[in-house]
Amino acid sequence: MSPTDTLTQPALWPLTAIVFLPALVAAFLSLPIVPKAREEFIRWTTLLTTAVVFVLSLWMAVPALFGPTGPAQFRLGDPSMQAVVKLPWIESFGIEYLLGVDGISLPLVVLTTFLSMLAAAASWPISKHVKAYSVLFLLLVTGMLGVFVSLDFFLFYVFWEVMLLPMYFLIGIWGGPRREYAAIKFFLYTLLGSVLMLLAILMLYFTSDLRLLSDEQLVASHVVSPSLDGAARTTALEAVRSAGRPLHTFNILALAQIGQLPNSPFAAAQVWGMSLETWAFLLLLIGFVIKVPVVPVHTWLPDAHVEAPTPISMILAGVLLKLGGYGILRICYPICPGAGLSLAWLVCGLGVVSMVYGAFAALAQKDFKRMVAYSSVSHMGYVMLGLGVWSAVAGQEYRWDAWAQGVNGAMFQMLAHGISSAGMFFMVGVLYDRVHHRNLEEFGGIFGKMPVYSGLAIAVFFAGLGLPGLCGFIGEVLVTLSSWNYSRVLAAISAFTVILTAAYILWAIQRVYLGAEYKGPHGDHLTPITPRELAIATPLVFFAILFGVAPQILFNYVTPTVNRQVETLADWTRRVHDAPAAPAVAAVQQDMAGQTAR
Amino acid sequence: MDLASQLPMLLGLAWLAPLVSFVAILFFGPRMGHHGKNAAWVATAAIVTSLGLSLAAFGIWLTAHPVTAVSHDSHGAAVDGHAADSHDANEHESHGNEANADHGDHADHSGQHAAVVPAAYSGDWYTLYQGGSLRLSIGWYIDALTVMMFVVVTFIATCIHVYASGYMHDELHDVTDHEVHLSDGGHLHRPGRFPRFFQALSLFCFSMLGILIAGNLAMVFIFWELVGICSWFLIGFYFERKSASTAANKAFIVNRVGDFGMLIGLMALWGALGTLHFADSPAAGAGGQTAPGLFSLVRPAESGHALQVPDGMVKFANASGVSQIALDNASRPGDGANEIASRIRDWRSEGYGRWLLFIAGVGIFCGCVGKSAQFPLFVWLPDAMEGPTPVSALVHSATMVAAGVYLVGRFYPVLTPDVLLVIAVIGGITLFIAATIALVANDIKRVLAYSTVSQLGYMMLALGVGGWSAGLFHLVTHAFFKSLLFLCSGSVIHACHTNDMRKMGGLARVMPWTAGTMLVGCLAIIGAGIPFVIGLSGYYSKDAILAQALSYSQANPSWSILFYAVAGGAFLTAFYMFRLWFMTFAGAPRDHHIADHAHESPNVMVVPLVALSVLAIVAGWTLPGGFGLANLLEQARPAGTAATMSDSFLFGNLTVPAEHLSHEGAIHVTATLTAFTTAAAGVLLAAMMYLWRIISPEMVASVFRPIYSFLANRWYFDELYNAIFVRPVFAVASLASGTDRGVIDRLIDGIAWSARQLAGFDAWIDRNLVDGLVNATATATWNAGLELKKLQTGRLRQYVMFIVIGTVALFVLASMLFRAALAG
Repeated sequence: MSPTDTLTQPALWPLTAIVFLPALVAAFLSLPIVPKAREEFIRWTTLLTTAVVFVLSLWMAVPALFGPTGPAQFRLGDPSMQAVVKLPWIESFGIEYLLGVDGISLPLVVLTTFLSMLAAAASWPISKHVKAYSVLFLLLVTGMLGVFVSLDFFLFYVFWEVMLLPMYFLIGIWGGPRREYAAIKFFLYTLLGSVLMLLAILMLYFTSDLRLLSDEQLVASHVVSPSLDGAARTTALEAVRSAGRPLHTFNILALAQIGQLPNSPFAAAQVWGMSLETWAFLLLLIGFVIKVPVVPVHTWLPDAHVEAPTPISMILAGVLLKLGGYGILRICYPICPGAGLSLAWLVCGLGVVSMVYGAFAALAQKDFKRMVAYSSVSHMGYVMLGLGVWSAVAGQEYRWDAWAQGVNGAMFQMLAHGISSAGMFFMVGVLYDRVHHRNLEEFGGIFGKMPVYSGLAIAVFFAGLGLPGLCGFIGEVLVTLSSWNYSRVLAAISAFTVILTAAYILWAIQRVYLGAEYKGPHGDHLTPITPRELAIATPLVFFAILFGVAPQILFNYVTPTVNRQVETLADWTRRVHDAPAAPAVAAVQQDMAGQTAR
Repeated sequence: MDLASQLPMLLGLAWLAPLVSFVAILFFGPRMGHHGKNAAWVATAAIVTSLGLSLAAFGIWLTAHPVTAVSHDSHGAAVDGHAADSHDANEHESHGNEANADHGDHADHSGQHAAVVPAAYSGDWYTLYQGGSLRLSIGWYIDALTVMMFVVVTFIATCIHVYASGYMHDELHDVTDHEVHLSDGGHLHRPGRFPRFFQALSLFCFSMLGILIAGNLAMVFIFWELVGICSWFLIGFYFERKSASTAANKAFIVNRVGDFGMLIGLMALWGALGTLHFADSPAAGAGGQTAPGLFSLVRPAESGHALQVPDGMVKFANASGVSQIALDNASRPGDGANEIASRIRDWRSEGYGRWLLFIAGVGIFCGCVGKSAQFPLFVWLPDAMEGPTPVSALVHSATMVAAGVYLVGRFYPVLTPDVLLVIAVIGGITLFIAATIALVANDIKRVLAYSTVSQLGYMMLALGVGGWSAGLFHLVTHAFFKSLLFLCSGSVIHACHTNDMRKMGGLARVMPWTAGTMLVGCLAIIGAGIPFVIGLSGYYSKDAILAQALSYSQANPSWSILFYAVAGGAFLTAFYMFRLWFMTFAGAPRDHHIADHAHESPNVMVVPLVALSVLAIVAGWTLPGGFGLANLLEQARPAGTAATMSDSFLFGNLTVPAEHLSHEGAIHVTATLTAFTTAAAGVLLAAMMYLWRIISPEMVASVFRPIYSFLANRWYFDELYNAIFVRPVFAVASLASGTDRGVIDRLIDGIAWSARQLAGFDAWIDRNLVDGLVNATATATWNAGLELKKLQTGRLRQYVMFIVIGTVALFVLASMLFRAALAG
């Protein structure tokens, strides 16, 4: 937070390179000089690109692996934005090229680069229009990474849209039989979300005013770059101070600072009987929960997953769903705390409904992939619940740690679900590549035919089941335990879900992997797992175990930032929300003093 | 090194050794000798290592805390000695001083008891999550109970590993599974899975020991789930059989139902108290202070370890009161906190938080109901017998299912009299139902399974009526004789290739060792002995339970049914156990084909039988010096639980009598005589029906036909649950799935359809309107002119009206736009 550290000097290259390298390679691949027929070359280029991006993100995230650090590498334990890149972009609207990572976004960036690499490797069986596929795939990667690192709301929105289109085509062209229906559905749902989001962004922009912020806040939110000092800083601050009209901003950090002010203009402005902040919260929330997705705006997910090719399913479940949770955590709560507090029941309620509904629906599915898709709905419900449990209220003496536990659990759940759901979709894909069907009733006896594959698959499914020692457990248990302090009813329902989860996962395992013989077609194609498949499955299982046994590895990144945000908001609850008018208190004291005097 | 660092190291290594074996077999199992034959040795070596380390820890423990005679009148003083010994454990320094301070005060007997703090060592290995003051970690809590259970579990596990290396030898080569019918009419041929069995067994041992050593409830829950999944693997070992995989799923899911309750209990504790540690953690709290654990929160030393609703729960329950004060002091948080703290005592006396403590206790107990197969969740255990017999012996009788009882024992200080009553009643119902089903079962393993359920009910009941030591004592003795009984049944099944007792009979001649050791097991389980002189292990533990139940009944006459349940259960146990023995071993062979082929099992299987039967005989004995399980257990008795406890909250006035009262005078005599009479009557009746054939079992069955079929169908529990739980769940599931397709997707598709129609309409407009725009405009202008002509009426009143309407409309429009513009 403090600008004293000169290491926050903008370093353009690591984040920019991570985000734009895939797009550059995509541009190169789309050139006519790359012949369409050289499919192997294109595949390898894609894989290598994603691998390089993964290594770059790892270089940022785990300096210990790479020896002495560069200034852009991540400092563990520092909760603030790091490796910030700040360049003017569209100056007349104050739009900036502002990137940065903190403990919330960095793990998600690494998850994205990791899964992109595995998904690129899982793309080998795709033989239709390989060139176009690779180009779109790499564009998608750029879009996803851009969303996670953008600190400018406009830039965020641009990346959000950049991600949407490749996804539409990847499902619509390389998908299964009902691919067009699924792609359109995905597109319309997401488009609706982005339109509402744009509306909210503009509302916030036109209401914001940088002049309300103190010098420290301006520096902390990178409106005035912390790397400036002395005269340059004074000049920059003076420019803000001397502006004769409201200085609007798209800077997400600055918007959060403004939203948490006691005299927040977002809370003051009224639109049709509700505060602007409530409107913005709701519009943004709709945009984000469509991505998460929560019931009842989740029906694009099963269709998209069932039709999407395996690597795209991995990306979709592993990364895209996290964008929703990330948005709620990064944008909704800090910028609109008042609405967040009064609508916490909505966020939590949506989470719990998704949890239970998704689990029930998963239990009823006959299609293996559809079942896994519904399990995602259920698991992402934990994320919503964990993010929402605003329990730092008066009745809890403003204790923030239970809520922080929920948010940390939600973050962990996002990362864990990224691994387990990508793994589950990959495992389904391995079977589908062989027998070309996904009917749960027509499997059985796979364990006897493909023992290594089945062992890995069962491990991944157990991670999804939330078995201790695997990554799914930690997030679920932290969220569930934390929710009690917010609402005992929601907590009980979320605890109830563990029964359903066990039921649908174990039942699926029984029908697919156990049993005496395979009941479906193409039984002779059930060959043992190939080295390429093993190379994808093994890291997923490895990390599922590693994060299950040593969750601290992830919490070391996540908790400082999450705790600071939650602590700030808990303090906001007490200071701004519950004791809004210091003068009133003074008046009461005066009154009491007067009484005693009398 | 002192005790506080030696014990966690020894037991920690004992805990991890099976994990090493699991990993080794996981990766290299099939390469360990021919068909992985040596995997058995790897696993056995690991568990023997664990046993050795546990024994070493036991030895160290005994050196530091010698077990001495606990005579009933000097009870308190004797245990006080141990409390003083625990000074070297820095964790308990403060408690030790507390106990010391009370040393001089010998006058007040109950006060003396209340002050006793058991010697215990606790700490953390590593942290899973830390945020603010909340911390989840992996750690240890070691007291006499932990050490004792380590020895018991590793000893039984060793016996069973050795036994299994003989029993499972079929898996060393290709197996033809005659219970699996393939679609082509043949039987399944598959490669053997010898190493996989030992791999799962090792993982199980690791998980089970994890529960025992756990220093907090979160860790208990983690290993709780892990033993569940090991049980899933082991029940489903023959996963090609539909029945086996279904039984495995049933076991896990039914256990999860219990875990649902356990999670609620965990939340109630965690949410209000912010800790799940049993013991205090020094230097873990705010500012490096000692963070109090559950035990000292619920039974603070300041109040003599008497049970009280902890502060956190009082505050949590009175959130509205807290909220009011906090709101009033929102700008002065310090003042608010002080005022809240000053009010807690009043709030507590108003009864805030009692429900929460009750929910916490019952919630944790729910988990135990699932794991220990208590009513109403006992249905999974009999089905779990689909697993190989060594698994039934280790997992589903001696260790895992006992974990529930162990946890109730561990968590005992937090349980209020109301929770204890719930536990006792559930235990009583369980022991009765299971015993009645065992009366008519014909599958030898199912009889033992129901007997296990029933005996677990005994233990729960014992704990519920205040018999902390009696319940855990029975847990240990039962572990020995029940694993013995299961291994004997395995030996019989190994010889006969059937589980059906109706096809057995007369096997004593061909399998003398098995018959003899099984007789020892039967005698132990019915509690045979010479009253007041000597008996098998079960004699002591069952007597203790009866005595405590009687003591409780006398203190709470309205619940005396509990004593009758225990006494009746003793009769039923004796009957069905000897029915089993007589049907299997006595009389003439009923199926000569089976009897002729039967043979005594190989030595590798007989030796464990003998070892276990020796322990089944002697485990309950107390040596002249006072060394014995009962006295060892007393070392671990939770602080404050030795005293009589009374409360009236939900179920009226309840008194949980102090356990030492049941060792005295009339109660003890009555209990012993009742136990002897009921057991003798049971054996006698079994002999009359199945040995001497004076009463024909068939005739009894036909006379009591409705009751017989009711019992033979296991009280129709499976059918009932299927109807009221399983089917509704699937109905809701298809409803949810149907809603997606039928309602939400319809709606979305409908919107999309409307959009397409709108687009079509748009296109139509393009063609018909825009193209003809000029004409249309012209026509419109012409018509408008004609219409406007009509307006020009020359009447002033009409003109004014038009102006007013226009102005209002303009105003409304402008204000809406203005507000939106202001906003956006």
